[in-house]
Amino acid sequence: MVRAYLYTLIWAAGTVVFILLCSLAMGGAARLLAKWRGLSRNRQEEVFAGYAFAAPWIVGFVIFVVAPTLASLYWSFTSYRLPAPPVFVGLANYLKLLLRDMDFRAALLNTLYLTVFGLPAQMVVALALALLLNQRIRGRGLYRAAFYMPVFLGTNAAVLLSWVFMLNANTGFLNQILRLSIKVFPPLRILMQIFIFVIEVSNAAFLGVQTGNFTLLQRVWQTGLPGPERVPLWLEHPLWIKAAIILLMVWSCGNMMLIYLAALSNIPRELQEAAEVDGAGPWQRFWHITLPLLSPATFYNLIVGLIATMQMFEQPYVLLRDRPTLAQAGHTVVYYLWRATFRFNEIGYGAAISWVLTVLIMIITLIQFRLERRWVHYEL
Amino acid sequence: MEVGAMVPSRPWASPAQRLRRVGIGLLYGALYFALSAGALATMFPLIWMILTSFKTFEEANAPQIVWLPSALRWEAYRAILSRPEFLRAFANSVFVTALAVGGTLASITVVAYAFSRLEWPGRDVVFILMLSTMMIPPQALIVPQYVFFNKLRWIGTYNPITIPGFFAGGAALVFLLRQFMRQIPKDLDEAARIDGASHWQIFWHIILPLCRPALATAAIFLFVAHWNSLLQPLIYLQTTSLYTLPIYVTSLVNPQQTVQPWPSIMAASFITALPLIVVFLLLQRHLIGGIVLSGMKG
Repeated sequence: MVRAYLYTLIWAAGTVVFILLCSLAMGGAARLLAKWRGLSRNRQEEVFAGYAFAAPWIVGFVIFVVAPTLASLYWSFTSYRLPAPPVFVGLANYLKLLLRDMDFRAALLNTLYLTVFGLPAQMVVALALALLLNQRIRGRGLYRAAFYMPVFLGTNAAVLLSWVFMLNANTGFLNQILRLSIKVFPPLRILMQIFIFVIEVSNAAFLGVQTGNFTLLQRVWQTGLPGPERVPLWLEHPLWIKAAIILLMVWSCGNMMLIYLAALSNIPRELQEAAEVDGAGPWQRFWHITLPLLSPATFYNLIVGLIATMQMFEQPYVLLRDRPTLAQAGHTVVYYLWRATFRFNEIGYGAAISWVLTVLIMIITLIQFRLERRWVHYEL
Repeated sequence: MEVGAMVPSRPWASPAQRLRRVGIGLLYGALYFALSAGALATMFPLIWMILTSFKTFEEANAPQIVWLPSALRWEAYRAILSRPEFLRAFANSVFVTALAVGGTLASITVVAYAFSRLEWPGRDVVFILMLSTMMIPPQALIVPQYVFFNKLRWIGTYNPITIPGFFAGGAALVFLLRQFMRQIPKDLDEAARIDGASHWQIFWHIILPLCRPALATAAIFLFVAHWNSLLQPLIYLQTTSLYTLPIYVTSLVNPQQTVQPWPSIMAASFITALPLIVVFLLLQRHLIGGIVLSGMKG
């Protein structure tokens, strides 16, 4: 153990020396150039300092971004399984990935599902919490801290185990409390049956599109409303695993809430009051004043949330690690990248997966920026 | 959107006004109820984790909810803390987080200084280049970096998850610090320059002490990111003795068993969460205040 630490500490010290040398070299070269161009001594000093201080990033950029990007672009066109050398295969990886790899298609569609249903759910809850917190209330700081807490804890796999425990279909807390509340207040049962039916039908339909096999959907549809004793099968069934992931996403919406809260506090009070004098009700004011003025915050949350959803890894890892049969129904693109690449050192294929992911994120972000003008208002 | 903004409290209020005030009181009651319920639900995974860690195996896996442990039992903590693997994973997490946060923080501060307080040809181009790297998902670089670290024989060591940070990893945090440093008046440096101070001295004695709030924010973000980090350790730390807490604690769940030893797993989870909770409780006011003030920049 100590040896592993020492090894890394020695390398760290070496890295610091390396960075210092790079700084001096880069700064020195820049100063030489400045001298040659006839700048004053003072300016020469500043140019030296500028390059010397920026050198760590510039060197890191070349080593950890430029070189890997170029290398992975090449490797994505090769069959490369470590430790054997890469062999050029043209577009084979991409063709396999996009046309024949059903697991990748499943990962892509699952990620899409989480983006289309999970992200809006996350944003709506964040907005609702921010609106509640924006009232004149006591203890706002306390509530705010409570809602923000999952941002710290929400991606720690060890902490997420608490969710695995709570989502257990039989003994888990969530289903226990659902059973208990139905026992106390029986009319809730029909709501619960409808909820289960809606989730199962929609997920069966989605799985049908994903696999081209609609027998599950037919079965769920023909069964109709589930029996009165049924509970959600969060981590037990392919039809539920995505709902469980969305639950975890909604839980950690604290950052979005803060962004909304900041935007809400910037809305001038006079605007609301003027609308009220003109006879606008609370709903109209929300719809025509608050929401449009929040659109920059919504846009920011949407972009950041999109990128985070596309890159989700910890939640599916914790929920799927011990449930390989659910993997196809719940794994995300990054989870698949990890499984497909690092189990068999499939470098070429993994490089192709990461390029598809990168291009996808860029396309979606660009589309969002294109659409921005249509619905984001920076003033009323 | 203020619920009670328009009602001045007057002792001579008419019955209609009084009725209205009762309505507003009810509205406030509903508001507090919704907020408290939401806060309770949000905190519940943590509360349940703590409660479970004090329960017996039977209480935790009972078919009917057992709300509270029948006694304050420390067995689960004693059991988990007597496991050398757990202690080692804890030490590993502390080592990795400390080294990575320290190295990253030092380098991003230096780089942010170059981007905010110094004039050098090419600065704006380099800065835009840096901002554009925020568009690249970190996962996209994982595969080629793995090959690179494999060539260096770094697989199975802590190097791949600590050393890259030394090169000012994390454009968003450099950006945050740069924005903060730009607000410091330029006269300070100029006066120091006239007094013969070098750029390094200005950075060390003037700018750095003024940046403490922003540095604290960056340090919190880095700490949370490295303490929670999962994908990179999974890829690079291929031996059990090197595992960090998130990997080790999730491996406590045994897929071969239908019933898990939840009290000890939850005790391990809670110990893992504890540093996060402490940092959060100490610094949340600073952090949340900063995000709310700076609005979108958070």
